[in-house]
Amino acid sequence: MSQPALPAGWAAQWDAQANRYLFVDTINNRSQWEQPTGPAIGAGGPGANGIGPGSSSTPIPQANAQQQQPVASSNPRRRQYPTAQMAQAYAEGGAVAATGGPGTGYGAGVGGGVSTPGVSGGYSDLSQGQGQYPQMQVPQNQGPAQLFTPGAALAGGQGQQQGGAGGYFAPANPGFADQKAFSVAGGVDPNQQQQQQQGGVGGMMGNMVNQFSNMGMNGGSTPGYGQGQAQQPMSMGGHGSHSLVNLNLIGLQPSVPDLARDPPAPLLPQGACISNNPAANAHHSYQRSTINAIPTTASLLGKTKIPLALILTPYRSVQEGDEPVPVVSDTVIARCRRCRSYINPYVTFIEGGARWKCCMCNLSNEVPQLFDWNNQTNQPADRWSRAELNCGVVEFVAPQEYMIRPPQPPVYVFVIDVSQHAVQSGMVATAARTILETLDRIPNSDQRTKVGILAVSDAMHFFCLPAGESEPSMLVVSDIDDVYLPKPTDLLVNLTEARPAIESVLGRLSDMFKESATTGSALGPAMQTAHKLIGTIGGKIITLTATLPTLGEGALKARDDPKVLGTSKESSLLQAASAFYKTFSIECARNQVTVDMFLFSASYTDVASLRCLPRYTGGQVYYYPGFNATRSEDAIKFATEFGTVLASPIGLEAVIRVRGSRGLRMSAFHGNFFTRSTDLLSLPTVPIDQSYAIELQIEDPLTQPFVVLQTAVLHTTCYGERRIRVMTTAYPTTTSMSEVFASADQNAIMTLLSNKAVERAMSSKLEDARDAVINKVVDILKVYKDTMTAANGGASAQLTVPENLKLMPLLASAMVKHVGFRESSQIPPDLRAYAHALLSTLPTQSLLPYLHPQFYSLHNMPAEAGTVGENGVVLPPSLNLTSERLERHGLFLIEDGQNIFLWVGQEAVPQLVMDVFDLPNYQELKGGKYTLPVLENPFSQRVNAIVAKTREMRRNPYWQHLYVVKADAEPALRNWALSLLIEDRVDKTASYSQFLALIKDKVGVRQTRVRK
Amino acid sequence: MAAALLFSMVFFIIMFSDLECDYINPIDLCNKLNTFVLPEMLAHAFLTLCFLLTGQWISFLVNAPLVGYNVNKILTKNHMYDATEIFRTLSGHKKECFIKLGLYLVSFFYYLYRMILALISGKAGRATVLPLDDCKMNDLDLFGLKMDD
Repeated sequence: MSQPALPAGWAAQWDAQANRYLFVDTINNRSQWEQPTGPAIGAGGPGANGIGPGSSSTPIPQANAQQQQPVASSNPRRRQYPTAQMAQAYAEGGAVAATGGPGTGYGAGVGGGVSTPGVSGGYSDLSQGQGQYPQMQVPQNQGPAQLFTPGAALAGGQGQQQGGAGGYFAPANPGFADQKAFSVAGGVDPNQQQQQQQGGVGGMMGNMVNQFSNMGMNGGSTPGYGQGQAQQPMSMGGHGSHSLVNLNLIGLQPSVPDLARDPPAPLLPQGACISNNPAANAHHSYQRSTINAIPTTASLLGKTKIPLALILTPYRSVQEGDEPVPVVSDTVIARCRRCRSYINPYVTFIEGGARWKCCMCNLSNEVPQLFDWNNQTNQPADRWSRAELNCGVVEFVAPQEYMIRPPQPPVYVFVIDVSQHAVQSGMVATAARTILETLDRIPNSDQRTKVGILAVSDAMHFFCLPAGESEPSMLVVSDIDDVYLPKPTDLLVNLTEARPAIESVLGRLSDMFKESATTGSALGPAMQTAHKLIGTIGGKIITLTATLPTLGEGALKARDDPKVLGTSKESSLLQAASAFYKTFSIECARNQVTVDMFLFSASYTDVASLRCLPRYTGGQVYYYPGFNATRSEDAIKFATEFGTVLASPIGLEAVIRVRGSRGLRMSAFHGNFFTRSTDLLSLPTVPIDQSYAIELQIEDPLTQPFVVLQTAVLHTTCYGERRIRVMTTAYPTTTSMSEVFASADQNAIMTLLSNKAVERAMSSKLEDARDAVINKVVDILKVYKDTMTAANGGASAQLTVPENLKLMPLLASAMVKHVGFRESSQIPPDLRAYAHALLSTLPTQSLLPYLHPQFYSLHNMPAEAGTVGENGVVLPPSLNLTSERLERHGLFLIEDGQNIFLWVGQEAVPQLVMDVFDLPNYQELKGGKYTLPVLENPFSQRVNAIVAKTREMRRNPYWQHLYVVKADAEPALRNWALSLLIEDRVDKTASYSQFLALIKDKVGVRQTRVRK
Repeated sequence: MAAALLFSMVFFIIMFSDLECDYINPIDLCNKLNTFVLPEMLAHAFLTLCFLLTGQWISFLVNAPLVGYNVNKILTKNHMYDATEIFRTLSGHKKECFIKLGLYLVSFFYYLYRMILALISGKAGRATVLPLDDCKMNDLDLFGLKMDD
């Protein structure tokens, strides 16, 4: 089949899976199977009406950028780094408009949408603008700009290109700031600010940059632009905006790769930031907002129905390739006297740099004397090189005033269940071995770390670990009603000094209790004792239990009545059964003690009750249902995760406070912590990669052109240093509703909704939680339909959504089908409670696959998949989660961040089975947990590489189980894997298209009701 | 007793404001307040019971809904202040306290008025002075009539 002739703006792409051409609209990346008849959208085709009324939005910038991406079948990396030529095409397209002034540039390309031609002309006409750019004529004001704040002169040229290109080009094209960029920049500097988020400013940029800003300011010679700027100094319309592209979801396959897309970048007004460092705004993995352009009034926010919230992951792990957080070590900390915010790249220096004006409350503060001083060399230093003026995320080393007491050492107490079941399942042995192997990796750089071990069955067993001796002794306390420490010393010991004793205990722990025949567990009293042991210092209690606590305080009953499941009473099973867990967790939070829970059980463990402890003390729950260490997969999973948790650096005795510009107030907090004051979150320890959601309220109308949100985490590092981690993000404000919609971040919204849904499920009913999610989505889309589209009449056949929220319905449908919320009477309450724990703590990056699993087809993956590419192992393109994609002869991989399922079709050819599993044919293959053999053939190595990459690519400690699922055997496992294919209909839950129809009906119905 | 209730409410409100201004830790606050929650409810219930027994219908009807509300709270086990949830529910708690304060204030003066009335009419009719709140118009009239006889 030869490539068919296409109208302008379309490209044909061969899809190997479907054996036919796929037609891609190069402007906005809509793809279709039918051969297009009209020109592409940018050239006036369907969708050119996609611009919201009244906004000066530009019909492409960011959507366009990524959209050159090919269809699923090609290498995903190309999506992010299109070729240099393309980038130039963008810049040049802009150039046309810039030189020709309004009118020349667009021609047919603009469509009806550009209301401020000056601003938006640059992008609109790609389809025809390519290749015919006239000579650049914009006069360049060459005088070097002498501005005190260098950041005011931001990279024009680059900004423009990035603005047009959605910011993906810079890293790939460092040499990009060529002459063409110059000419463009003068006019369109509104987009400059983009550059702060995106990388790759060469040092040489500085000069050019200044020229541009001057041009922008004196821009009389480029009439359209200059005016646009001058007339709307405050309104965001003048600062460039995200385009609002309408999309009808009905009948459209959700485009899964877009899940990994970055949120719309906050487009800050020019001069907002005094630094031209791209990292001046905190990266969205640290802090992201649900809306990247904050509405100026509460009523506007209320009208859009989009929740305003901040998603934080302050203690994010730094993986390979990530920039480490810069540290300011000279303890010169400049803070605003009134609002106590920390100095950041968005302040302004006044009076010749002697004072600075706070960007949140506008108070002028003195610059500290030593601000321009390098105390290591004792010489004056350049303040512009200070990290806090250049980076959105910095760590200050805190002086004495920030300490209540000297930095505490990290303390770990292990409470290990040694009752019969725990020993038999091999949990005790595995745990002891893991601790033993991890002793070197536990944060202990200054040799102060303390460790204690407590074994518990129906009595408490203390281990006396005297320093320097290798013969520990065991003290047994069987009185569980009255908690006391049998010995004042040697129970909590220095890890380095008492190493031999600790090793000896751990080595023999499992043997000591081999004969254990007790079935009860006095976990409550044991944890109380542990708390007593470390209460004066604070630290971590790590509890490993395989039995339901049945003795002493905090005793629980097996309350999982199968009759209750699936009814409205089910949510009572998700609440704590005993008040002890709440009061004890408060007690722990107060004494800076965190409880981590590792739960192993074949039967009911009441995760819901035990989860309370980590919930309020900043810990985490790890749950291993049906753990059995004789299965090597179970043992490896637990040992890997446990080891990672132990070895990860933690922050101790932390408080988190979020400050915002005047008019913003933090109103609600979600996550694992204890709220100590109206806006102060306290965490005994900050675990790595845990996320918190904070809702914001607009109390007073915002008058500034941009607002700043700053999160400060005061903590003690596990290396004995008091530090403040400050994360600053600036967001533009806007008065336009379309701008709010266009800059909404669907992933952040879903993170917040999942937090709220979990709380809803616990406080009322699961059904209410599901409804809350659906209603929120319906509300948002309804408002969008009513205000942003020319909707005529109530119910229509379309469900129109903004392009940047197009996956929100998919994620919402994934959430109501998620094991945490699904309507079913089969899901054990333990699994639900564990899912809730994850849903409310996972950072967005890990939450997305947890809600919407990744689905790869391995038998026909592209040649480069599974090999090592530029960014590590290349993953195959992810597929839509529908069983239509499953082929009878295929091999598929489904993973949700917790488990990996390897689906083998029943007609899998023996060669495939041989290559991957080293078995002669499909019949020999057994389903269940599996360790893939590494074989001497390229396919096996590639599959193994993909599995390994899947296990390590996200920022979390989880090591996914690999299950082999045979298409025609083991119905339970098969159904489990199929339940992850969320676009399908599974028992009572609706398929994605049914869900969309439901949403569409609700959007329509409500509208007519309003009209009556 | 009504005065004691009044003071307890004022105390509650002051404590909540303290919490808002970060003068007090939510854990301490809840520990402190929780010791007074049940006594307050019991005192109120006792007072209402007295009204019922002595046939003070108006006072009883005014107080009965609050007793019902309290009983409901205890039955659903959320009568205690929860340190982990306190900030989310603070505005609700404050509102509740203000309403209670208003109710107690109004009823306090009403009781006072009734007491004085009882004293006056008791003196006028040379009847034995009845203890606080134990009088009723009809009774007084009866007494009066009896005396006239």
